[in-house]
Amino acid sequence: MTSSRETILNRIHNALRESARHEMPACPDEPRLAGDETARLAATLAAIESLSGKTRRIKNQSELRDALNELVQTEHIRKAMLWENQFLRELGIANLLSELDVELVSLQADKHVLAQCDLGVTGADAVLPQTGTLALRATPSQAEVVSLLPRVHLAIIRPNDLCADLREMLARIKHDSHAVLITGSSRTTDIEKTLALGVHGPKVFHVWSYEPSI
Amino acid sequence: MTRTVTRIDFRRNTQNVPAPIRAATLKNTRTAVVKRDEAVQRVGVEYWERLRQTAHDIRLHAITHLDRYLPLLESRVTEAGGYVHWADDATEVYRLIIEIARKHRVQHIVKTKSMVSEEIALNDALRTAGLTPLETDLGEFIVQLAGSRPSHPTNPALHYTKEFIADLFRRKLGVDAPPIPTVLTDIARTRLREEFLRAEMGISGGNFLIAETGTLVLVTNEGNGRMCTTLPPIHVAVVGIEKVVPDWDSVAVLLQLLARSTTGMDLSAYTTFITGTRAGGPREFHLILLDNGRTRILQDVHARETLLCIRCGACANICPVFQQIGGLAYDSPYSGPIGAILSPQLFGIARAGDLAFASSLCGACADVCPVKIPIPKILLHLRRRAVEGDAFEKPVAPVAVRAGARVGAFTFALPSLYELGTQILKWVQQPFRHGEWLPAMPPPLQRWTMTRPLPKFGADFRAWWRKQKAKRDA
Repeated sequence: MTSSRETILNRIHNALRESARHEMPACPDEPRLAGDETARLAATLAAIESLSGKTRRIKNQSELRDALNELVQTEHIRKAMLWENQFLRELGIANLLSELDVELVSLQADKHVLAQCDLGVTGADAVLPQTGTLALRATPSQAEVVSLLPRVHLAIIRPNDLCADLREMLARIKHDSHAVLITGSSRTTDIEKTLALGVHGPKVFHVWSYEPSI
Repeated sequence: MTRTVTRIDFRRNTQNVPAPIRAATLKNTRTAVVKRDEAVQRVGVEYWERLRQTAHDIRLHAITHLDRYLPLLESRVTEAGGYVHWADDATEVYRLIIEIARKHRVQHIVKTKSMVSEEIALNDALRTAGLTPLETDLGEFIVQLAGSRPSHPTNPALHYTKEFIADLFRRKLGVDAPPIPTVLTDIARTRLREEFLRAEMGISGGNFLIAETGTLVLVTNEGNGRMCTTLPPIHVAVVGIEKVVPDWDSVAVLLQLLARSTTGMDLSAYTTFITGTRAGGPREFHLILLDNGRTRILQDVHARETLLCIRCGACANICPVFQQIGGLAYDSPYSGPIGAILSPQLFGIARAGDLAFASSLCGACADVCPVKIPIPKILLHLRRRAVEGDAFEKPVAPVAVRAGARVGAFTFALPSLYELGTQILKWVQQPFRHGEWLPAMPPPLQRWTMTRPLPKFGADFRAWWRKQKAKRDA
């Protein structure tokens, strides 16, 4: 008995047998943004603001502490989870949050527990200034849920993360098993074409650029 | 489970569209058209046209090499720890999903928006097996609660007002809901969060399948796509075989076109890339590749570009027919211009042939299609199939239409008969003429003059040509 796989492939083969096959085209170069890293980071943040995200530029640890304090107060953050990666460790985010009396939840916890976090802090694996897009790879230490479940998502980006175009951004993530491109907040216009933010994903999206050299 | 072959009576459906749906459709499609135009201007028309042509060529290359890319995709997915199943038709998809659900004792299923699942009426089939997938896309959630059907390819609840939705939530969810979109959205958010967390299976469709690495691409805005494919321990994706693209460079091109065509945004809020399984994600990933008539479409060289579609909905938004009546009148999960060519080919001309005639052939759809599907050309091809029949279909047009087409073809083929016909027309029209116009014609032509007059048959091109030629030759 022929399997469906064989049946389908045979049909395809027969369908294509008599006709000319179409060749693969070259892809056009994407428009790129001019300017140095500082300018392109500024463009990124502007794009994110236009998509209802909230942005800040951070120059040093002191500003970072103040910014986190403000965030915790304004958004009433009691529980948080974060990417367990080198960049956020270097910034000392975990300690800063603990000092603000925020309870930290381990990424190993059950998903129902993780769902109670108010804040998720991540970095980004790639940033596209043209569209304000952040690419986040999902690994055990960069769990997908951190940028998905909490009410508030804070992403901290660096000049190093910048890409020239979408093709380059995709090249950075294509060999991983899971990645997501985030462009602005969770949104819908399903009800009377009226914009509503934070449907199933985070309600508030903060992006801070960390630029110690400026 | 197959549909019984009852013919879709498009004309009658259009006459039964309630006024509120007409108003909502008109308003919302026009907004969408403006937003798409703005997005195209932002990126530059010249670049946009280059992207469209490239996208067309990429998609056509992909479907004319399906015998290469599908097996490649299958190897990559399997290497990455996923399972690949091939389904010839709807019944096989039901069997596969029910088997997986029974094996893992699945009780709760959450589902993202997937047109393929509507094409095969998946929810109905699973319901009879005791499993009811919960729609989580806000528009689909609303439509499911209302026990109704989506009225637009990418904007399913387009036809509902906020007052209706508030009332629906009050009745079905038992919550006090004011008619404010943001508040209604919050209500859905809270309700669905519980479901995401307790579901044992998530079912999704797929926007693209990247053969190079075996990657499923999901383009979403709300976050439910991520929830359904991250939280439940089992993820099942049902995707048509035509969704395959060769590599990531292809996806870069297509992503630049898709969101701009659908909503006018540069990119959707979330673009998810899933390759097999991973630590911290679902334990099992099942990809079901569905044929359900796509290989038959592939066989027809004149119609195979139907398969290039990336499901953006731009054609529906700009179509003057769709703008007036919305998607429900098409009585098919695929509505608007793409529905007019896809539905007859998937469900048969006997059932959906009317839809190929549901067009004035204005060509606006072809202008906006991001992958340059020649929709009007394919519509004409399908009309010919309906009237003449061919290797794929028996003729299904009424005898009068077939006879009329034969007479027309015969008359137009003989110059002397054609000329005689034009002279006769000048006499025959006299009883109906009012000055320069023919305001009312007898049946069946009264269908034209019901809403606008015909100009009189006056100009004689052949006489003018002969005079011009004589002048030139003199």
